[in-house]
Parts: sequence; structure tokens; C-alpha cells
Amino acid sequence: MEKIKNISGITRFSFIELFGPILIITAASCLIGFSSASLMLTVQFALCYFVMVLALQVFVGNSGVLSFGHGAFAMLGAFVSGLLTAPVRIKNNALSMTDLLQSIADIQVNLYLSLLIAAIVGGVVAGITGVFLMRLNGLAAGIATFALLGVAYNFFFNNTKFGPGSQALPGVPKFQNLFIPLLLALVALVLVYLLNVSSIGRTLRATREDNLAAPALGINIIRVRRIAFAFSGALAGLAGAMYSHVAGTVQVQDYYLGFTFLTLSMLVIGGSGSIWGALVGTLLVISVGQVLLMMEQGKAIFGLSIDLPNGARAIFIAATLVVALLWRSSGVTNGKEFAFPNFKKKSN
Amino acid sequence: MVQAILDAISLGGTYALAALGLGLVFGVMRLVNFAHAELITISAYILVVTNDLPLIVSFIIAAVVTALLAVAMELLIYRRLRGTGPAIMLIASFGLSVLLQRVYELIFGALPKSAAIAPWMSGEVKVAGASVTISSIATVVITVVILLIAGYLIERTSLGLQLRAAAIDFKTARLLGVRSNRLIAAAFAISGVLAAIVGFIVVVENPQVSPMYGVNITILALVGIVIGGISSLRGSALGGFMVGVILSLLNTFLGNARVYAYSWLFLLVLIILLVRPGGIMSKANEMERV
Repeated sequence: MEKIKNISGITRFSFIELFGPILIITAASCLIGFSSASLMLTVQFALCYFVMVLALQVFVGNSGVLSFGHGAFAMLGAFVSGLLTAPVRIKNNALSMTDLLQSIADIQVNLYLSLLIAAIVGGVVAGITGVFLMRLNGLAAGIATFALLGVAYNFFFNNTKFGPGSQALPGVPKFQNLFIPLLLALVALVLVYLLNVSSIGRTLRATREDNLAAPALGINIIRVRRIAFAFSGALAGLAGAMYSHVAGTVQVQDYYLGFTFLTLSMLVIGGSGSIWGALVGTLLVISVGQVLLMMEQGKAIFGLSIDLPNGARAIFIAATLVVALLWRSSGVTNGKEFAFPNFKKKSN
Repeated sequence: MVQAILDAISLGGTYALAALGLGLVFGVMRLVNFAHAELITISAYILVVTNDLPLIVSFIIAAVVTALLAVAMELLIYRRLRGTGPAIMLIASFGLSVLLQRVYELIFGALPKSAAIAPWMSGEVKVAGASVTISSIATVVITVVILLIAGYLIERTSLGLQLRAAAIDFKTARLLGVRSNRLIAAAFAISGVLAAIVGFIVVVENPQVSPMYGVNITILALVGIVIGGISSLRGSALGGFMVGVILSLLNTFLGNARVYAYSWLFLLVLIILLVRPGGIMSKANEMERV
């Protein structure tokens, strides 16, 4: 008998699938983060990337529709949160912000509130654009979302009334410690997991597997995609805002093509079907990058020092992506959720 | 005014050629080949590096190397990924694109390399009372000739028939005796030659070649093939042409607001896609299955 295709993604709430990743993130962040100051920064960036990859997983992984537009929501979140929290004194005096609207320059809110506002703005904008965009399918949807990113980049790069334009926004307050971004990432993880096991997550995966059978079963494809798009837009907004508070600045280039493709690559390398895949992909890409960076700087890793010429790091990272896809095209985790390694012989 | 129209047509023609190269490969294997940008870049690099040789010799070297690189991409990477789905191939092609950019950086350096290629082309001549650059006329002529040749190849030869059949329905084309491996390799080779020609056209206008030289034009050409209609080669070329013309006109007529030209272009693209999801050349109700 033909084996039924193994469909990636979860269907029922399982304690282990949720708490396995939570434990791993917490342990890895604390162990690596507290070992040195430079690694602490890497861990904080990694947590921002992870939230972004989760945002992509909710929509791209579950619906199978590619989106290049999430960078736009992250950009928006970063600008909202960065402008809301930067000190009034800096906004009124910095050379890069002489054109800034006075009402933006005079406002300053608390960091936590601004994170919330950034997520809401990301979600609202994704919800509104999703009403139109979700009517599209396949490559047309991919290009349309890319157009969204293009508009956002072009606008923020040239507009000096709503931001610093092509320059960096200085004075964005940084997270005081590791636990704030860690907690935010864990909250995002739990929310995404709950959405994935809900009827929305399940119907979304049904539309991914067969977009003729799904409506025949009464699923409104456009409706579930719109909901997921808005939710993932909110998460992307949060991720962008977090990134600005780790970097301590907002620069429009940080959220453009490089960011978009780095996060999409993390998702695809790990396996887009599951949040475990999102975690593994983020960890893998960040650690390969970090190890290569340390080699480039001539630092010893586990007592072993390998010298790499400058520029070799970038080649290795890109090559890793290509090789990982050639080796396992459905991602390292194959789209499966976290499970304890099973050493018994499999019965199928 | 004459210059503005010529600029629009020549930019449109350039994007049409880039879109045709992308569309050929997309047609036979549903692959959005981001690394097409690096084919354009390598052609431009070779033209700059071999500038001491006669132009025709250095162009032939560029075309051969670019075509070989295109076929190598297919043999080493895309062939192994066939059947994994468009999203994965797209990400892989992006990875390959970044990989090649870094390799170029290692070989040619991160700073732009430049040389005066075909300097006679930057001269001006009088047409209908207005002075226009020779390069814009040359670009129009080259693109028209190449599009005519490509049109003949696609409409009148057996290879073209196979390419069109494969673009419509690859599985059925295989069942009817189209040799898939050979056809796909041929599509990559042609797309490589087209990229080399695009590389030549752009390097004459802007001889500052850096590792990311071809990225911008490839993204816009990609936008072009989607709004033109991905399932037809004619649609791809037309879409690419439209993007070039629109962008050029926006740049001419927006005045000081021309920094926002891309925003208007992308908004227009969004509107076109919402009205005709399958592109301008598609039938109204044709929808891609995810």
C-alpha cells in the first residue's frame, strides 16, 4: 500500500513539543549569553531573528505562500518603537533629524509600551494590506509582498519627516538585560504554538496541502490566510522593534533584502513546517556565522584556532544554505515538532 | 523629449531581455532564478577586465563564460533540487546568488571595477533636431534585434516549440518526447547568453561594476515577468519592457519627487496584480495552484 504523505505540522497540543523548545532556548541563551559580553549581544540578536522566523513560520510555513513583505512590517515596527523611545532631546537636536515632524520629536513613551504599539501597528498594517494581498496565490503573492517591502524601503529611505531617512536614528534605548528579549521570544513562541494547534493553524495547513479540497470542506482560504497574515505581521513588527532595542539604533537598510532573505533562509533550512524547525534553523545559521566570525578574528574555539581569511565567512554561510538545501530540501527537522530522540527501531 | 522616449524604450528593452532570460528558465522548471543577477554581473566583469581586447572578442568571451556558468548552475545545483517545489528552489537560488556575490568579491574586490567600454557610444548625434546619445540608440537597436532573433527562435524552431510546450505543461511535454534534461540545460544556456547581452548593455551606460551589480535589474525584471504573465514567454518580455518604460518615464516626469519612483512603480505593480493575478497576458480566471 502506498504510504500516506507525511504532512508537517502539529495537530494537537502536546506538552513536550512546547516545553522542549522553551527549555532549549532558555538554556542556550543563558549558557552562551553569560559566557562573554560579545556573545551576549549575539544571543540578543539571535532572539530577535527567532521572533522574526516565528512570524514567517506562522504565515509562510503554514500556508505555503512565500512572503517577502514581512521585512516591511519589521521595518515599520522598528521605526515606530525607535522613534517612540528615543529621547526628546536627541530627536530635537540630531543633525539627521532636522526635518522630523515636531509631534514625533516631542513624544516619548516607555520601552514596553512602545514594543506593544509596534506589534499592534505591524498587525494592523498587515491586516489591512492582507485584505488585498491574500487574494493572490503562488508567485504573484510573493512578488506582491515584495512590492510592499519595496514601497516601505523606498519611503523610509527617502522620507525625513517620519524618520532619519537613509541615516541612522541615534539614541534608541537598549534592553537592560538578556531576560527581556528572552521573555518576549518565549511569549512569541507560546502564542505561535497555540495558533498552530488552533483550528486556524490546522485549516491553514489544509489549504497548503490541497487548495481545492480545503474549500470543498468548507474552509474559507482567503479568510484564514488574512488572519494568519495579520498575526504574523504583528510578530514581525515586534521582532523589528526588538532588533532596534538590541542594536540601539534604527537604520532602514537593516530590514531590507539581507534581513528578509536571512530570516527566510533560517526558516527553510530548519524546516518551515514547524516551530521546532524555526528554532533549529535560527540556531544553526547564527552559530555557523558566529563560529566563522570567531575564526576570522583568530580566536580559539574549544582550544582550537583555525585562521580564516577575511571574506571567507560570507562564502561559507551562503554555501551552508545551498548545501543544506541540497542535503535535505524539506529542512533539517523535516518539518517535525520537537520530540525526544527515539532510539528504538521505528515500526513503519 | 526625444531623449526621454529613447531612454524609456532602451531601458524597457534591457529589462525585456533580462525578463526573457528569467522567463525561459521559469517556464521549463518553475524556478525563479535570483542568481540570474550574477550572470549579468559576471558578463559585465569580464567585459571590464578584457577591455584591452577588441570589443567583439571580449563580448564572445563574456557570452561563453556566462552561458557556461548558467549551465553549471543547473547541473550542479538546480538539477538536484528539481521536484522540491518553487519555494525551496527560490531560496536555493538566492543562496547561490549571495554565494557568487561573495566569490566575485574575493576575486575582483569589493570596490567597483571600471573601464571605458566602447567609448564611442557615449557620443551624441542629432535626431529630429534633438541631440541623443549613441548608446541609447544602440541599445534600442540591439534589443530589437535580439528580441526578433529570440522571437524567431521561440516561434519557428523545434527548440522554441519545445520550450513553449514545456512552459505550458512540462509533464505533458515530457510524455510527448521532449528530453527534459537537454531542454532545461538549453534554456539555461540561452538565458546565460541573454544575461551576457544585458550585461553588455548596462556596462556601457554604467561601467562601475561591483559584486551586486546585476541585482537591481534582476529584481525589476522579475517583477516584470510576474505582471506580464509568468506562463508565457511573450508576456514575460512584455512585462519586463513595461517595467522599464514606466520606471524611465517616472524618473523623467516626477521631477524632484523622483526618489519615490520605486514606490509608485511598486504600487502600480500591486494594483496590476490585484486586477490580473495571473499577469496582463493571462486569461482572467487562470489561477496558480498555490
